[in-house]
Amino acid sequence: METEEEEALSLSILSDPTLHQKHLSMIERLSNRHQTRVDNSLARRSDSDSNSPSSASAFLSRFSDSKRSIEAHIAQSRLAYPTDPSEVRSHLDSISASISDLEKLVAESSFFLPSYEVRSSLKAVSDLRQSLDNLSSELIPKKKFAFKNKASKRDPTTEPKQTTAEEKSVSVSTSHEKLVFQVRDSPGFRGKKGEILVENFKGSEIGEFTVSDLDSCEVKLIGSVRALFVHRLRNCRVYVGPVIGSVLIDEAEGCVFVMASHQIRIHNAKGCDFYLRVRSRPIIEDSSGVRFAPYCLSYEGVEEDLRDASLDEETGNWANVDDFRWLRAVQSPNWSLLPENERVQMVNISELGGGIEGN
Amino acid sequence: MGLLSIIRKIKRKEKEMRILMVGLDNSGKTTIVLKISGEDTSVISPTLGFNIKTITYQKYTLNIWDVGGQKTIRSYWRNYFEQTDGLVWVVDSSDLRRLDDCRMELDNLLKEERLSGASLLILANKQDIKGALNPEEIAKVLNLEAMDKTRHWKIVGCSAITGEGLLEGFDWLVQDIASRIYVLD
Repeated sequence: METEEEEALSLSILSDPTLHQKHLSMIERLSNRHQTRVDNSLARRSDSDSNSPSSASAFLSRFSDSKRSIEAHIAQSRLAYPTDPSEVRSHLDSISASISDLEKLVAESSFFLPSYEVRSSLKAVSDLRQSLDNLSSELIPKKKFAFKNKASKRDPTTEPKQTTAEEKSVSVSTSHEKLVFQVRDSPGFRGKKGEILVENFKGSEIGEFTVSDLDSCEVKLIGSVRALFVHRLRNCRVYVGPVIGSVLIDEAEGCVFVMASHQIRIHNAKGCDFYLRVRSRPIIEDSSGVRFAPYCLSYEGVEEDLRDASLDEETGNWANVDDFRWLRAVQSPNWSLLPENERVQMVNISELGGGIEGN
Repeated sequence: MGLLSIIRKIKRKEKEMRILMVGLDNSGKTTIVLKISGEDTSVISPTLGFNIKTITYQKYTLNIWDVGGQKTIRSYWRNYFEQTDGLVWVVDSSDLRRLDDCRMELDNLLKEERLSGASLLILANKQDIKGALNPEEIAKVLNLEAMDKTRHWKIVGCSAITGEGLLEGFDWLVQDIASRIYVLD
């Protein structure tokens, strides 16, 4: 029915003068709209380009103003809140809406703000959310009882704490540090400073490996691993043989990584150089000042290990980095290719101090 | 009730199920989807956005939505909640450090009203890696026993690389959804 009508319409556009008129006016409207859109975006761009420092500071003052007002609202409602639950709810909703507005403001401004400001603003927003959550669980004690019942059976360590929702969130964040399964630490190097750490996986069963909380260390992993987790490294050099699964890097600063893997994910890295061979596209998230170059590691038997891990072929993917914080067609400002004259030569980890510092 | 029965009828005719795959980044969601649809799993980039796979499973058509798990894009998960019949939560059982994150994200997800009717399959992935926690341990860490009693859920250990456990998990999920939606068959 409808398609018939449409057909008839398009046929009669040329013949019927009134319809033709309509058609023309529609085209005109469309082009007008397009023009205004272009104008708007131009205006916005020039606005932010010409005076980005001042608009950044304008943003900051606006941000801190609304942040303070929201905090004041939250603090106020804690002292004197309405007793009617529906009123409480609408009050909380309005606070939540203003937090969302604030978040939107950050998002809109994110393209001209320095990344530090973006991060700290987002942190502030999530802190506000958190305190609003705490507030709402105080004011609207919903499933408190049900939770207490079940949880106390499951988890004896936090048993006495399950009385209010707020305390629960506290107990979660404290248990964060001493996770239930610290008992079974995965193999790895942890909490060292200024050391040379060497591990040779040749001939051992392949599993996962963790490198975390290191400062000014040199890490050499010879042979293949299934998965590699890297967490909180400063000023370290990390040389790794083939990783058959994936590498996950979180929080690294001023480090050099030489690694080969099927997948590589890089989070919260600052000022690091990566010499990679990857089968898929490496990704970065919340990172800045990271540079990429091709893999350049050698030790006795590295070729064979790479072949066994299906990593012998250079796919060139080390240069195809996806930045999850930069979903636009233009090159992300957060990463770049490492200029050839600044790259290190081949790193050989077999001859230097093999196995002195095993774990 | 009228509307519900109409929806039931439409669904019954199509025998379609909408399945949402979520979980932290690096848990192996895309690898699992490609493995069960019989595709090559050797080159998979981290998912920027989402993939949809339609596969025929027994007499049902599964529309599997595989949504990227990077922190930046987790907030977009909610765009995929509507009309989800089955929820698959994928865990990297070898990533001990982020199990707390994993639990919190799952808790948040299960608070979502639009997912309240969905069957929940938890895949404790990467069982092939030495040192990975087994499904019972994962269940403990995620505190699954404390979940809302009305939720249909199951945890299955699996390996997306070898394919082990995937059939068991999806069998349960499809049967469970079918028994809810296609009761009158």
